Amino acid sequence: MSLLKRVPTYWLYQLLGWGMVIIANAFFAYTFERLDEKYGYRLLLVALLGFSFSHLMRLVITRANILIKPIQQQILGFIFITVTFGIIIGLTESFIFKYFDLLRKSSNGKTLPTSVLIISNIFDSFVYLFIWNCIYYIYHYIQKSRRQQVDTLKLEALIKELELKTIKSHINPHFIFNALNSIRALIDENPGRARTAITELSNILRSSMQAEKLETVPFEKELNIVKDYLALEYIRFEDRLQIEYEIDEDTLDQPVPPMMLQTLVENAIKHGISKQLRGGVVKIISDFKSDHHELVVQNTGHLNGGINGDGFGLASTQNRLQLLFGEKANFTIREIYGNMVEAKVKLPVIIGV
Amino acid sequence: MIKAIIIDDERLARNELKKLLMDFPEIEVVAEGANANEGLEKIETINPDLVFLDIQMPGKTGFDMLAELDKAPYVIFTTAYDEHALKAFEVNALDYLLKPVEPKRLADAIQKLHIQEEKEPTVSNGITINREMLNEEDQVFVKDGERCWFVKLGEIRLFESVGNYAKVFFGPNKPLILKSLNALEERLDEKTFFRANRKHIVNLRMIDKIEPYFNGGLLLELKGGEKIEVSRRQTVKFKEMMSL
Repeated sequence: MSLLKRVPTYWLYQLLGWGMVIIANAFFAYTFERLDEKYGYRLLLVALLGFSFSHLMRLVITRANILIKPIQQQILGFIFITVTFGIIIGLTESFIFKYFDLLRKSSNGKTLPTSVLIISNIFDSFVYLFIWNCIYYIYHYIQKSRRQQVDTLKLEALIKELELKTIKSHINPHFIFNALNSIRALIDENPGRARTAITELSNILRSSMQAEKLETVPFEKELNIVKDYLALEYIRFEDRLQIEYEIDEDTLDQPVPPMMLQTLVENAIKHGISKQLRGGVVKIISDFKSDHHELVVQNTGHLNGGINGDGFGLASTQNRLQLLFGEKANFTIREIYGNMVEAKVKLPVIIGV
Repeated sequence: MIKAIIIDDERLARNELKKLLMDFPEIEVVAEGANANEGLEKIETINPDLVFLDIQMPGKTGFDMLAELDKAPYVIFTTAYDEHALKAFEVNALDYLLKPVEPKRLADAIQKLHIQEEKEPTVSNGITINREMLNEEDQVFVKDGERCWFVKLGEIRLFESVGNYAKVFFGPNKPLILKSLNALEERLDEKTFFRANRKHIVNLRMIDKIEPYFNGGLLLELKGGEKIEVSRRQTVKFKEMMSL
């Protein structure tokens, strides 16, 4: 066993294969009582030539990288190589047979005509090499697809992991603790508002946990979370935060990635409103524009190189869109009217949800 | 009575802290500020004993605000959750409270303030005749990137002019502050801090060795190993001071 393990698979198959050729032929020759000394030499020669030329053929296949070419080129390459090597082996065999007089004489003492000999040798070699190539190709095909399966699994696991990480960090701890602090102050000042604030906070926390499991949610659900979120931020910022909505009701059924709008709104607060002494506006727009669903978050503030530096939220938004919709979705962020920042997500429209 | 100011951009957060402080009758909240600029103004006019300071505020952070003051008051930071700020706290063990504030932690922080006060009773009798002058016990807040320190003036060996900034040497650190050497010289007690030349102000208590230098000047070696040349003009003044 230890020896078998040390011999590379290829050589093992090679030896076994050509060994089988010898055994099978010898067996048939024996049954038909044609096994003589000359037949033995011929058989040995065939196996030897087959062994060495098929090895040469393998070198050609690996050098020409045939296995990683497109399928049509692979097939053509294999046919070409099999035929060429079949002819080479057939010719070599015929020459050696003739030269060393290894051919069997028929009862009338005549040998086969040379042309027939050559053609039959070429044909035999072609058959052997064809079988050889089939095995070789199938073996590699199976190996390759198995490797691909493992790779895909690994990749999927990686993506899931990344997604989990991004989504988990969607809710900023700074926000949670600030919200809790405001709620504690509200308990005396406005108990009713404190109670609703707790409900709003629970909604946000719950949906951020559920978001890990879902690819998309109806926009209405996402919008409710954002409304809860902004209601809580309003408690904190009071008059410094103005909230505006411009929602086309028909877009409420559209599927959107969970916590995406939420992330953008959070950024609008974190990098926009909370940096302004007098606060500002956060405006959320959802509409159909030509053939896509457009989600827009506008906020008072400036884009100051934050796209790359602080842009964890932005990068994850871009990645998630790419993963979910490929080229059909896109994300842009820019400054408008000189004192506003606009983040815009274009999503494909899904009909009949 | 300890005069305290609360600086936080959220009204509710200020209210909550005031409510918690009602359990400490010795602390009187005399003013509030909703941002760094209001805070600066209040601190300069009221000269409080204690400041509760939020870090994340619109415009300027609490750290930036402190760095602008010539003399830092006793500060307890309040923050909800801010990784950058927490890092600064860990490094320098500044006193801080996490919002929502735990009453026990608040009590501890105030206890610490009392201990400090017993050591230096000057803190609450802050009625100095010349408010403009800073003494050795006064502390300044120094911020350099993510690191920040409260430094007693007495611990500073040397101020070095670097363009519009001044490099402050204390312990193993030498961060930059946005203050000119001339402005510093006006506020520093000249019995302790001496303008050695155009670029340096040295702490006289931190001098290790004095050697004559060419042109009739002097070379001072400070406790941190820094060598500072005293200009010829200042050498006369230096000798006068030292001979007294």
